[in-house]
Amino acid sequence: MTTRFCLICTFLCGICSIGKGQIIAGDSLVASGQYVAARVEYERALFGSTEPDAVFAASVGKARCLKQQGLYAPAVTFLNGQLQSNLPDSLLYQLRYEQVLCAYLAGQFENTLSLVERLPYLHPDVPPVPMLLAVRVLALNELQRWPAADTAYHELAALVTANTLLPNPYRELPRLKSEKKAQWLSTFIPGAGQLYAGRPGEAALSILIQSAGLYFGIASYINSYYLSAWGIGAGLFGSFHAGGVRRAEVLVRQRNQQRANAFNAQLRQQVVELIK
Amino acid sequence: MTPFRFWLPVLLLCLVQPAYCQTSPSFGSEWSFARYLADKDAVDEAGFVLRHIDQKRLTTPQRDSLVYLRGWLAYGAKSLDSASQYLLRVSETSSFYVKSQYFGAYCLAFDHHRDSARAVMQYLPAPDSTLSELKAFQQAGLALLQRQYTRYDSLRQQFNYTSYALSAEETRLDAYRRGLSAEKRRSPVLAGMLSAVVPGLGKIYAGKPKQGIAAFLPVLTLGLLTWEGYRKDGPTSLRFLGFGSLFTVFYAGNIWGSAVSVKVRRDEFNRGYDNKILFDMHIPLRNLLNR
Repeated sequence: MTTRFCLICTFLCGICSIGKGQIIAGDSLVASGQYVAARVEYERALFGSTEPDAVFAASVGKARCLKQQGLYAPAVTFLNGQLQSNLPDSLLYQLRYEQVLCAYLAGQFENTLSLVERLPYLHPDVPPVPMLLAVRVLALNELQRWPAADTAYHELAALVTANTLLPNPYRELPRLKSEKKAQWLSTFIPGAGQLYAGRPGEAALSILIQSAGLYFGIASYINSYYLSAWGIGAGLFGSFHAGGVRRAEVLVRQRNQQRANAFNAQLRQQVVELIK
Repeated sequence: MTPFRFWLPVLLLCLVQPAYCQTSPSFGSEWSFARYLADKDAVDEAGFVLRHIDQKRLTTPQRDSLVYLRGWLAYGAKSLDSASQYLLRVSETSSFYVKSQYFGAYCLAFDHHRDSARAVMQYLPAPDSTLSELKAFQQAGLALLQRQYTRYDSLRQQFNYTSYALSAEETRLDAYRRGLSAEKRRSPVLAGMLSAVVPGLGKIYAGKPKQGIAAFLPVLTLGLLTWEGYRKDGPTSLRFLGFGSLFTVFYAGNIWGSAVSVKVRRDEFNRGYDNKILFDMHIPLRNLLNR
C-alpha cells in the first residue's frame, strides 16, 4: 500500500515537474538572450501542463520574450489566447495587466484604453493600480484627448501622493494650429499658410515661385503672347498655388504632431516620476 | 525487504528523471507539439522545433510527417516556393500524401511554375469521385492560367456542377473562360498611330481614357506655345526652338507611351483574371482537403 502510494506520488510529481522544468529552462534561455528558444520552452510548458501556476508562468515568460524582441503586437494576440477562464482570477488579472502594457508598447492606444477600462468590470475586487492609471494617462495623451487625460492624471496623482499642490501639467496644453485656417490663408495670400505653420523660408519660396509665374503671365499678356500667358504663366501660378495650399496643410499637421510629441514626452517624464 | 528498499529509489529516479529533463523527446511528441504550435499560429516556434528534429534517425513515415508539416508551415507563411518543395517530397505511403500533392501543385501554379504544376497535376491522386472532379478542376484552372482554352474545354467535361465544394467555383471558371476569350486584342502599333494623329487617343484606345486626356492637355499646350513662338518670333527664335523641342519630346513620348499602355493594360487584364482563377482554385482545396 505504501509502495503504491509512493509510486502515485512520484508519477504526479514527475508530471507536475514537466511544466516547471520547461519554465526553468525557458528562464535560463531568456537570461542568455535566446528568446526564440525560450519561447519554445514556454510553449512546451503550455502544451504539456494544465496546472494554473505553470500556465501562468509560461504565458508571462513568453510574453516577456516577445516584448524583449520588440514583438509587442504579437504579444497582445498571444496573451489574448491565454486568457482562459480556468485560470484563477488573480492570475487572469496579472495576464490582463501584462496585455495592457504590451498594447501600449505596440502603439495600440485605443486597444489599451479599452483593455484598461474593462479591468474594473472583470476584476471588481482589485483596487486601481498606479501603473495602469499611468498607462491610461499616456494612451489618452497619445490620442490627444487632453481633458480625459487631465482627469486621469488627477486620479493617478490622488492615488500615489497625498500632495494636492502638485503643478498641473495640463494647464498649458500644446497650442495646435488649424489645418483649415492654413489652407484658407494660402488660398488667398500665397505663402501665408506656410508662415502660419512657422516655416518662413518655405513661405518666401512659395511667394517667389508664384510671383514669378504671375509676372511671366502678365508680361506675356502685355506683349501679346496670349498663349504663353495662359500656358506658362497661368499654368505655373495655378500649379504652385494649388501645391502651396496642400503644402501649408501638411506643414501645420507636422507642426501639430511635433508639439503634441514634445508635450507628451514631457508629460511621460512627469508620469514616470509620479509612479516611481 | 532489503532489495525492495534498494530498488525503490532507483525506480523513483527512473520515473522522475526523463519527465524532468526531457533529454531526448520522441519524434511523435515533438511533431505533435510542432503541430499544436502551427495551429496556434506560432510559426517561428513551430519552425524552430521542426528544425531541431534529428532527421537521420527518422523512419520514412516520420520523415514524411516532418516534411509535410514544414511544407504546411511554409504555405501558411506564404513562402510558396519552399512550401511546394517540402509538400511534394511527401511519399505515397503517407496519410498526408493526397493533401500534400494537391497543395504542392497549387503552390507551383501560384508561383508561376505553370509547366511544373501541370506535370504534378497529371499524377494527382484521385481515389474517389469528388477528388477526381477536384483533380479535373485544378487542371482546368491551370489550363486557363496558361490560356490553353482547348484543354480547358476538354477538362471541363468532367465538371458535374453538383458538388457543394465545387459547383460555384466551376461556374465561375466557365465565366472566366468566356471573359478571357472575349478579350479584345488591341494593337500597340495602332495605339501609337492613333496617338500620332490625336495625342492621347492611343491611350483611350488601349482602355485608359483618363491617361489619354491627361496626355492630350500638355501636348496641346506645348503645341500652341510652339505655334505662337513661330508666328510671332519666327522659326529661328529661342522661344520657338525651346517650345518646339519640348513639344517634340512630349509628342514622341506620348506615341511611345500609347504603344506601351496597350501592353500594360493587357498585363492588368491578365493579372486580374489570374488572381480570380487562383482564388477559385484555392477554395475547394481548403474545403475538401484542409481537415
